[in-house]
Amino acid sequence: MINPSRTTIPRGVFERFSQPVPAKTATTRKEKPSLFKTVFTLPIIFYALLLIALPILYVFFLSFLRSDNYGGYLYEFNLENYGEILDSTYLSIFLKSAVIGLATTAICLAISYPFAIFLRGKSERKRNFIMKLIMVPFLTNSLIRTYGLITLLRKNGVINSTLLNLGLIGAPLNLMYNNLGILIGMVYTLLPFMLLPVCSAVSKVDQNLLDAASDLGAGKVQKFFKVYLPLTLQGAFNGSLMVFTPAIGYFFIADVLGGGKAMIIGNLVKNQFLTARNWPLGAALSILLLVITFLLVKLYKKIGGNLDELGGG
Amino acid sequence: MKRLSSSVKTILGSILAVTLLVTLTIFVFKKPKENVSDTSKTLNVLNWTSYIPLEVIKDFEKESGIKINYGTYSSNEELLAKLVSSAEGTYDLVFPSDYMVDLMSSRDMIVPLDKSKLKNLENVSPLFLGQSYDEENKYSLPFLLATTVFLYDSTKLPRLTSYKDLLNEKLKNNLILLDDQRIIIGAMLQATGRPMNDVREDSLEDSLNFFEKLKPNIKAFDSDSPKTFFITKEVDAGLVWNAEALIAVEENPDLKISYPAEGFALSMDNYCLVKGGKNHDAAYLFIDYLLRPDVAQKIVDEYPYISAIKGVDTVPENELIEILNNGSYVENVGADIKKFDKLWAKYK
Amino acid sequence: MRLIKRGGKLRNLYIFLVLLLLFLPIFILVAFSFNESKLNVIFTGFTFDWYGKLFENPDLLDAFKNTLLIAVASTAISTVLGTIGAFGLYKFQFRGKSFIDKLLYIPIVIPEIVLGIALLSIFTLAKIELSLWTVLLAHISFSVPFVITSVRSTLYAMPKNIEEAAEDLGANRWQSFWYVTLPILKPGIVSGALLAFTLSLDDVVISYFAAGPGTNTLPLYIYANIKTGISPDVNALTTLMLIFTITVLALSAHLESKKQLERVIK
Repeated sequence: MINPSRTTIPRGVFERFSQPVPAKTATTRKEKPSLFKTVFTLPIIFYALLLIALPILYVFFLSFLRSDNYGGYLYEFNLENYGEILDSTYLSIFLKSAVIGLATTAICLAISYPFAIFLRGKSERKRNFIMKLIMVPFLTNSLIRTYGLITLLRKNGVINSTLLNLGLIGAPLNLMYNNLGILIGMVYTLLPFMLLPVCSAVSKVDQNLLDAASDLGAGKVQKFFKVYLPLTLQGAFNGSLMVFTPAIGYFFIADVLGGGKAMIIGNLVKNQFLTARNWPLGAALSILLLVITFLLVKLYKKIGGNLDELGGG
Repeated sequence: MKRLSSSVKTILGSILAVTLLVTLTIFVFKKPKENVSDTSKTLNVLNWTSYIPLEVIKDFEKESGIKINYGTYSSNEELLAKLVSSAEGTYDLVFPSDYMVDLMSSRDMIVPLDKSKLKNLENVSPLFLGQSYDEENKYSLPFLLATTVFLYDSTKLPRLTSYKDLLNEKLKNNLILLDDQRIIIGAMLQATGRPMNDVREDSLEDSLNFFEKLKPNIKAFDSDSPKTFFITKEVDAGLVWNAEALIAVEENPDLKISYPAEGFALSMDNYCLVKGGKNHDAAYLFIDYLLRPDVAQKIVDEYPYISAIKGVDTVPENELIEILNNGSYVENVGADIKKFDKLWAKYK
Repeated sequence: MRLIKRGGKLRNLYIFLVLLLLFLPIFILVAFSFNESKLNVIFTGFTFDWYGKLFENPDLLDAFKNTLLIAVASTAISTVLGTIGAFGLYKFQFRGKSFIDKLLYIPIVIPEIVLGIALLSIFTLAKIELSLWTVLLAHISFSVPFVITSVRSTLYAMPKNIEEAAEDLGANRWQSFWYVTLPILKPGIVSGALLAFTLSLDDVVISYFAAGPGTNTLPLYIYANIKTGISPDVNALTTLMLIFTITVLALSAHLESKKQLERVIK
């Protein structure tokens, strides 16, 4: 079977794409509509339009409507919802949520880097074993793990009673039902998301570069900032993206460990939909979240990050 | 979550394979339940958390052959949000409180009850019928009455009698409040000497000021199970539902119950049929079942609220009348509901 | 290597501490599955009772069954959809393709809550009743892009002329896809499927918005009961699931080391 369109493709194209280069478009071939093409393109187009584009466009649309106070909305286009976001009540929640998100990311980074660098020095067998251990919490549902955390953190929980019995503290520490509780919960739940990309990036750093740095008299700190950090920046940013976004959105952690009073953006959005019945405001808040995420992704691409790596593979 | 190292793939592969196998086995070997998917045999109920014991539901399912899909909510506002955000026909039976019955009937969300379908109607105590929110009981029938009460550890605190007592230094980060906007804002209004349903701006402002003073003392908001906070000794005092308080006292006799002098909230929860519900017949059967004195007794044995059924007494009648006289119902404030929504966001 | 010796103990300790941090709450969960008291507060005595009671709790079992069912079904559907889509997008040009390409990254990067409320809004708009089906649909919607990126990485690595060769040898395009392309893509498909499966099992946020009456999944069951107090049968179930996971992990480690050994011998 001879395909006439094939002859128009210069040979070089084949060589280029036989390399694992994630180029934007893999082929320049133009096809006439055929059953084959329909089967392979139509479902995904339908999926992308119906389950991604439509819902998000609808949220965008909702964000310009007015709530009727009861859960419905009036078709009166306005920008009030975006104005209301700037209300001090909501701004303070944003600020707090951003601080928690950034702190979670920073702590996860601070834990992951030494871990990854120390792990590098281990034999392959040990490394594999430890990476497998990390998979265990990864495969246990995050809500179940959060529930385990409560048993540890509550006033008469395992941590407090141990410390009290050892005489290290005089009165129980307030480890949950506050912002600290949310922070602990976020770090604990999201740490594997950071450990995996950082470990993988650090393991790929060329030993020769490190040796060269040592020969030139670089200390540990210098080696970290001059060799490890620049070479693993993408991995770290990848992890940060995967930690920061949930850390401002995982309402269930703030709900359970924050005692219903310490809110993050996730709770705010959830409450607009499921208690305050103000969908337009909730929609406006979601659009704001979307914009923040897109800016972060732009930044990630700017430092050379590959979007495909965010999705595994 | 999003990255998988290659060595891990084998592991996950095996996990997936075995899970598939297990799931398939479950489905192959599990006896098909009789017509569970048949819509005439399922009843979709939305009710308060910790309200009807699981045992009662299971007994009803056994007796009637109807399968109950049971969902829960923690406040009237959450119930309202769930109803408006779900397609018509999603729920059959709900349990809104007084003011929410008024709101829902005025918004055409619930339908009039056909009382001829309820054989056990006569068991309802007249004390609870004909209330202001539904004077002819057209849309609702009373189920359980809840009141807000103080619960406190008497070994650590003097008797709580006024909302001002909650400002006690000893209660720093040591107090729990219900996670319910109308109830808590209402309490703050009463604390500042206003009626619970006051919607005037300056009154609401005052309530916020009082709340700001109280804030350092609040450890958590929870309506689902405030008793747990007392049983695990997380807090020493709180404003909670009466049944929650009674259960906690049973666990720890040092805990004591008292009523705020400035007034407290009554919350009468009612059976209501959702408009468009697919299985109202099953809902009537379930209501009728719950109207049986033996069933009502079982419910208050586990969750000691005040039952609307004659002869099922959790509190002596004279005490009950006193409660009804001193407490006040939350009222439907119409479009002013938005003020409370907004204020609640500020509170938290 | 001198690197390892110096301060080696401290390094091991650090690695150990991080692992301990990850595992401590899980150990606690397991420990309390053997606790006599219904409250997960103080250890009062040792018992196996909760493992028996687990099978008398129809709601918990139902939630567990739903979780598995959704995970398996959404994995199967999104794997097929994702594989077909990745191939189609790689192979064909059509108008608006770059738009579709961009759309497909959205579920990977946006906060789950945004997708959750977006889907809920659409379900409400279309008057679709929330049920197990909407949960399934929601899970498919966030899984497909992960399958696509995973399959795409193998597609780019595939020698392109191999398909042409098959077609030159007389295979039609269906045949060349089925017999040539698909086997080459297998590693990408498998890892995409696994990713979809794990994501589905772990999801709380999106299910929370998409679930209706009587459609509990395990995470939703726990979320609904976490405040009223979860009885230790949940701990028992978690422990059983952990034993299962760890057994598979150990087994695969064993198999791998055997494979390595064989490689060395050869």
